[in-house]
Amino acid sequence: MSADEAGVDLVRQDARAKATGKMRYSADLPLEGVLHAVVVRSPVPHAQIVSIESDAARARDGVVAVVTGAELGQVMAGRRVRDMPVLAREETRFTGEGIAVALGTSREVAESAARLVAIDYQELPAVTEPATALAPDSARVHAAASEYDGAVVSLSDPPNLQSELVDGSQEEVDVALASAAHVVTATYRTQAGHQGYLEPICWTAIPRQGGGILLQGTCKQPYQVRTQVAKALGVPTDLVEVGPMPLGGDFGGKGGMLDATLCAALARWAGQPVRLALRSDEDLMSTDARHGSTMDVRLGCDRDGRLVGLSLDALLDGGAYAASKPIPSVNLHGMAEAALGYRLSAFYVRSRIVYTHTVPKGHMRAPGAPQAVFAIESAMDELAQKVRIPAAELRRRNLLHSGERDAYGHQWPEARGAITLDAALDEPVRSKAPNKWRTGTGMALYARPTLPPGPTSLRLVGGGDGSFVVELPFPDTGTGSHSVVGEEMAHCLGVARDRVIVRQVPTNALPYDLGVGGSWVTAGVSAAIRRLADAWNASSKDRPVMVATEPEDGPAALAYCAQVAHVAVDPETGQVRVLELVTAVDVAQVLRPRSHRLQVDGGAVMGLGFALLEDLLEEGGQVWASNFAEFRLPTAEDVPLLRTVLVPGGTGVGPANVKSVGELSNVPTAAAVANAVADAVGARVRQLPITAESVYWCLEEKEVS
Amino acid sequence: MTVQLNVNGAQLDADVPPTASLLDALRGAGLVGTKEGCRIGVCGLCTVMVDGLPVSSCLLLAGCVDGREVVTVEGIGASRPEVVDAFVDCEGMQCGICTPGQVMAVAAMGPEIESEEEMRRYLSGNLCRCTGYATIVEAAKVSRGS
Repeated sequence: MSADEAGVDLVRQDARAKATGKMRYSADLPLEGVLHAVVVRSPVPHAQIVSIESDAARARDGVVAVVTGAELGQVMAGRRVRDMPVLAREETRFTGEGIAVALGTSREVAESAARLVAIDYQELPAVTEPATALAPDSARVHAAASEYDGAVVSLSDPPNLQSELVDGSQEEVDVALASAAHVVTATYRTQAGHQGYLEPICWTAIPRQGGGILLQGTCKQPYQVRTQVAKALGVPTDLVEVGPMPLGGDFGGKGGMLDATLCAALARWAGQPVRLALRSDEDLMSTDARHGSTMDVRLGCDRDGRLVGLSLDALLDGGAYAASKPIPSVNLHGMAEAALGYRLSAFYVRSRIVYTHTVPKGHMRAPGAPQAVFAIESAMDELAQKVRIPAAELRRRNLLHSGERDAYGHQWPEARGAITLDAALDEPVRSKAPNKWRTGTGMALYARPTLPPGPTSLRLVGGGDGSFVVELPFPDTGTGSHSVVGEEMAHCLGVARDRVIVRQVPTNALPYDLGVGGSWVTAGVSAAIRRLADAWNASSKDRPVMVATEPEDGPAALAYCAQVAHVAVDPETGQVRVLELVTAVDVAQVLRPRSHRLQVDGGAVMGLGFALLEDLLEEGGQVWASNFAEFRLPTAEDVPLLRTVLVPGGTGVGPANVKSVGELSNVPTAAAVANAVADAVGARVRQLPITAESVYWCLEEKEVS
Repeated sequence: MTVQLNVNGAQLDADVPPTASLLDALRGAGLVGTKEGCRIGVCGLCTVMVDGLPVSSCLLLAGCVDGREVVTVEGIGASRPEVVDAFVDCEGMQCGICTPGQVMAVAAMGPEIESEEEMRRYLSGNLCRCTGYATIVEAAKVSRGS
């Protein structure tokens, strides 16, 4: 079954508003009485702030104030670890950090005022290389990182450790690999990147009587942001309200609350509404970038190609603050889960994130997984070459069967890795390579758990004429989740799909919701939809009905994604062209085929960007590619023939029987491309992005050796 | 300074600083369908038509457009409904922030652009981070009945 045959879609409910420019986003809200905030950012990675001179800036017409950390007081922000001041005070720790804010009656006035703020910096040596940050004699990014609220490190840890995630047993892996027939030991590296959403971060904060504040902006987790902002400002949670707003892209980057906290603090200080709208270049240099990584992999198997042990030791550049990382480990769960799809008797993973004087890193689409899967799936091919069995066969021999246990001992009732891989491999190659270029094929796999439903809430309002409005607490980040909810609700109520309209409401209008993330929305909300339909049918049907669901335990499902890349490589220059990318996705029920397809397609293209193009070019504590001319996202012209094969018949989670899809197809792509390049010209690229230059030098090395 | 724009067939007198871009002038006048993206002419979010040609309105000073004919996404539905319909029917969007620019680019695409390859090259000035472009290219084809 191809993706296109899976079903017929209703027009998504926001399509016409979006195509006619009527959709209102955060930056489109009316501006009456709003002060514009423009941040003065540090031009250096590490310095003492000696003085801030703002007389000239304040003298400009239309400038209301220049605000520094001294005015706002000690406002510390963070999602788990509150280690980031909303404005740096004595010390600045990364290029792009906010030092002061010009408040003006227009953005242009505030921008010109910001340029007039004169800050005297005493530059200090910067820690910019993760590899040296942990050395006992390294300078410290934070004098006492263990003392921050929520810190997960202690005084006895090495300097600059931000968090450490360890699982499995190194000893067991050492023993297993000592007697393995074949072992690959290799180091893989990935670059810092950015979510690359095209709508820059934008917040509007409106102070209310009684100390409250209304926030509207680029936010995928309104309830979490409400709590975090309230905590940072030291006010009760119910004084902060986060309003509804569609997002112009997210990919993990719109869960942060740092700019929201700054905007709220400014509005409270000024006693007036404040808008903080980042320019695109500010966004690229200062927000939640993806962690660059260095990963040491050891992977071994016996004579028959059965894996006996895997060790993944990753060192990640966390940047100057841990504030953007949302999960309890303050690490990247994708690191730990990267080899979930394989049978491994000995397994060890260590993921260390370190502080450096660079932009604070956060979450991006399957955080940690694109990096770790690049390493492990590249190593898998390197191992196949040593054992001299085909790369696909090595994987088939080691992929979990249904009912088997993963490396953590968790038993999966269903594991469909092999049939998913074969579905991708069975697609015929249709493209032709340029003359004299060499072609190659590479594959990679990723297995991701679909989590059981988290807490959410919904309200159903009947129109009395057979029409309904579903009020829900989370935004549509672009995935089409609101249309999925509307169509599912209609299905459960037994009315036509276009009779249900979906509307996001502010945080005070519905109970707690987890927000968007972890690919859990569809699986999570579908349980609430059914309960809501039942509650409605049992009600008098003359007033709104609300349900709030608790997080559920229950078996998670494992979803596999396999990709096969067909590439052509110019052996003279090293230039790589991906001719085709086949993505096979292990699915259960597909609720809205078109949204599903767009998640797969968009993810695959993001995976290609990670593999081939996107690099923030962090060096010496500077982001050198802080604009979309240099931080290159794939264009329509860059995208090869994409084909998606759905592997139906899987068992998903929840009453809707679904497997998550949002963070699958962006993950294996880089390894698939690297493996294809190796197949084409024999050059093993262990560092992303794969550029003509990197392939050229790999080819040169091969000539020499 | 006051700039006399002709936007979507109506006269629009915009009082803007001499440094204001066409994008700033349009959004300042409440025509916020045109989105601000990179502001360096790379992403295509702010694409509008000036005298029938697609331009990045972030790169054009409002003063340079004095007296010229501007069409924005707010006006394209009336003159080129088939383009809007194609984006809706093909679901040539996800988050939608690039959609006004994509719609304008497709509306401005001349008949000399024929093959899918040519269309992809033509549309490469309009970034999309969500869709992977397939449904946008589909919308471009459908909009001209191909």
